[in-house]
Parts: sequence; structure tokens; C-alpha cells
Amino acid sequence: MLPIRFDQAKPFLTLGLALAAWLVLPVVVKSVLRVSFFEMQAPVDTAVSYTRDLQDFWALRNHSKNELIEAGRDLARLNASYELKVQENIELHRDLARLEALLRLPSFENYRAEPARVVRRDFSSWWQRLIIRKGSNSGLTVGAPVIFTGGVVGRVSEVHAYTAVVDLISSPEVRLAATLEGDTRPISYQGALSASFGPARGVVEFVPLDVFATPDHAKLLVTSGLGGVFPPGLIVGALTNVNPSPDGLFKTGEVQLDPRLAELTEVTVLVPLEPAETKPPQP
Amino acid sequence: MPRLFLALLPLVLLTLLVSQLNHALASWHVSLFVGGLLVVFTALRLDFDTGFAAVFLTGLLCDAAAPVRFGTHAFLFATAHTLIFSVRGRLPRDETLVSLFFALLANLGIFIALSLLLLARSPLPFGSWPRLLSNLLCSQVFLALVAPWFFALQARTFSLAGFELRNTSRRHT
Repeated sequence: MLPIRFDQAKPFLTLGLALAAWLVLPVVVKSVLRVSFFEMQAPVDTAVSYTRDLQDFWALRNHSKNELIEAGRDLARLNASYELKVQENIELHRDLARLEALLRLPSFENYRAEPARVVRRDFSSWWQRLIIRKGSNSGLTVGAPVIFTGGVVGRVSEVHAYTAVVDLISSPEVRLAATLEGDTRPISYQGALSASFGPARGVVEFVPLDVFATPDHAKLLVTSGLGGVFPPGLIVGALTNVNPSPDGLFKTGEVQLDPRLAELTEVTVLVPLEPAETKPPQP
Repeated sequence: MPRLFLALLPLVLLTLLVSQLNHALASWHVSLFVGGLLVVFTALRLDFDTGFAAVFLTGLLCDAAAPVRFGTHAFLFATAHTLIFSVRGRLPRDETLVSLFFALLANLGIFIALSLLLLARSPLPFGSWPRLLSNLLCSQVFLALVAPWFFALQARTFSLAGFELRNTSRRHT
């Protein structure tokens, strides 16, 4: 009879021991390890992001003076129109504050806008995330909503020293309560992985039976404000089709998200203000 | 310890390079996965302890940047490393083609395992397969293109530091 050889079992034994040791390792140790490994990578990502910005700067330096003059003229026009919008905005804010005071409504000014550059996009086969160049150093908090000019980007899922991770709205981890524009009934939205070379998308559940939508007659989906994370009225996407759900009580549907989500370079984080920071309504 | 550092250096470099490449490819919703490439050279050419520690630490690095249970990549990489190490005695492991074949096989295995672990939370698990298949195809093509360069880089790293790979691998097998 041949002697039993343990040397061939050694690799599997080591793997089993490592697994057993990992399972009994305290969660605190794992959390510290995770943060440490992330922070080790953060300087590389940030340095690459700054290099990309420098690259853009030198690319812009190559433009001719005529092109710069034209760009400056266009910007001046834009600035003029924005000045008007700012004036209108101030007036509307005053009206809003007056109405809130009259009706004794709670103020919605509970957020501080914090713009941040996108360091890295991580759109893998299983999740969709962004790493942004601001973190706890700018007062960002976990769960803070992230927006851009086209609507909702996602929400902050991890905050590190000077970077933060944003779960994109197209990621299956993100769920939120939404409504159709002009409707008050809540609908459940969840991100769904998009097809390669196609736009990002999500799915909706609990859509009322009287709602109809087709790609030609899409309906705008906005945040409902329920749940307390996202302020109401932010654009989520366009509801392009609905089908009856298996139980027949509601409908389910598909939401087409903004294609610019995949090319974002700058986003705005809505940092919730502390109660002391919020302005009380004027009597 | 110096051998572990030398084994780890190219693995970390590849992980960071691929993450930057994925950043550039994000606008097409294409993502590359090269987990198989990270485990093959260490499994075929290094002693078990050094290779195991290197792939485990690289896995933890991947885990830290991913919304998965911390240790998922680490144990998938470690399992692939152990399986390849256990059959390497019967293989001409210096051959690039053999390494490439095992890199493709390991990549396929780890990719499928991760998909099975993570797709349960998707609202459309079956709707995600076209994307998974296209990403897997792109990853395998990319892996086949860069693997010879990466194996050469790993071998060169050891030779520049004065470590002989053949001696290293024979000592523990």
C-alpha cells in the first residue's frame, strides 16, 4: 500500500485554514482592513484625475486666440441669461419663503450643494459606481444624494478621507421612491444593469394600472421626496414602457436614464445640513 | 518578504491599469475583468506561500474598491491559485501558451462565480446576461492580448531583483 502523501493536500489545507481564520476574524478588523486598502488606492486615482485635468488644461492652451475670444463671447451671452435666471430665482425663493411662513410649512432648504470632480467611473458587470474627489474633508455624509444638470446621479455609499464612492442610479443597489410628473402616487424605482453599448436603465414597480407609456410617449419620472434621501422633483429618467405585473394589481416598467450619466466629469453632492445650520422660516 | 513584494508589485500595477482602462470604457458600458491573469503566473511559477499571499492581498485590494463582501475576490483568487498550483506538476509551466490557457480558464471561472454571487440582487437577473456575456468576451480577448506582456513583466521583475524563478518554484514542490 502506498503511503499517504500530505504534501499534495497542503495547498488545500492552507486555503481551508485561511478561510476558517477569515470567518472568525472580528468585523472591526475587516472594516479597518477594507478602509486601509481603499485609502492605499485613493492617491493613485486622485493623482490620475489631477493628471487628466492637467492634460485638459494643456489641450485647451493649444487653442488659438480667436477660438478663445469666440468661447469668451459665448460665455458672456450665457452669463447674461444666467444673471436673469438668478434674479428670477431670488424672487421665487422670496415667494417660497413667504408662503412657507404664511402656511407654516417646513422649509426644504435642508441641503448644501457641494460640487465634486469625478475621479473614476467603475461600471462593471455587477455594479455601477463613481469615485468623486471630495470626502469627509468636505463634510460629505453616507446616503447624501448626488445630482447633475440632468437629474439624479445616485447617492453616496462610502465616505473616505478625501474621496467618496457614489452608487449610480443605474446600479441595482439603488432603490428610491419616485412619482410620475404631475402625479402624486409613489412608484418604486430600482437600478438595472444596462446592456453594453446601450443607455443606462432602471425598472419600476407598483405603477398604477391607469398609467400607460411607450417609447414614443414616454413619461417623466421624478423623485417623490418620500424616504427623506432625495428632495422631491429631481428627474430620474423617462418611463418608456409598462406591463401588467404577475399579480395584476399594478404594472412594472422600464426607465430610460440620461445617457450623460456614463460620461460625467462633475457632480453635485447635496449635503444634508445640521438642524443648527438650517434657516428657520421667517414669521 | 522581498519575493512577496516583487510578486505583488505587477499585480497591483495591473489592477490599477485595468481600473483606469475601465474608467475610459465606461461611456460604452463595457468593463474588463482580468482576475484570472492575476493568479496564473504566481500559481505556475512561484512557491505556494508567496503566490498565495500575493493573490490574497491583491484580492483584498479589489474587494476594498467593490461593493461586495470583503474577502470575496480574495478567496476566489486564492481558490483559483490553489487549484492551478495543485495541477502544475503535470504541466510544462514555463510555456507561455500553457499560462495563457490557464489564465483564460481561471478568468472564466472567477467571472462566472462572481456573477452567480452578485446577480441575485439585480431586479433583472436574466436581463443582465447579454451584458455579462459581452463583457466576458471583451475581457477574454483583452486578457489574451496582454497576458504574454504581463507574464514577461512578472518574470522580468524577479530577474531584475536577482531571484531565479525555477529555483524558487522547485524548492517547495
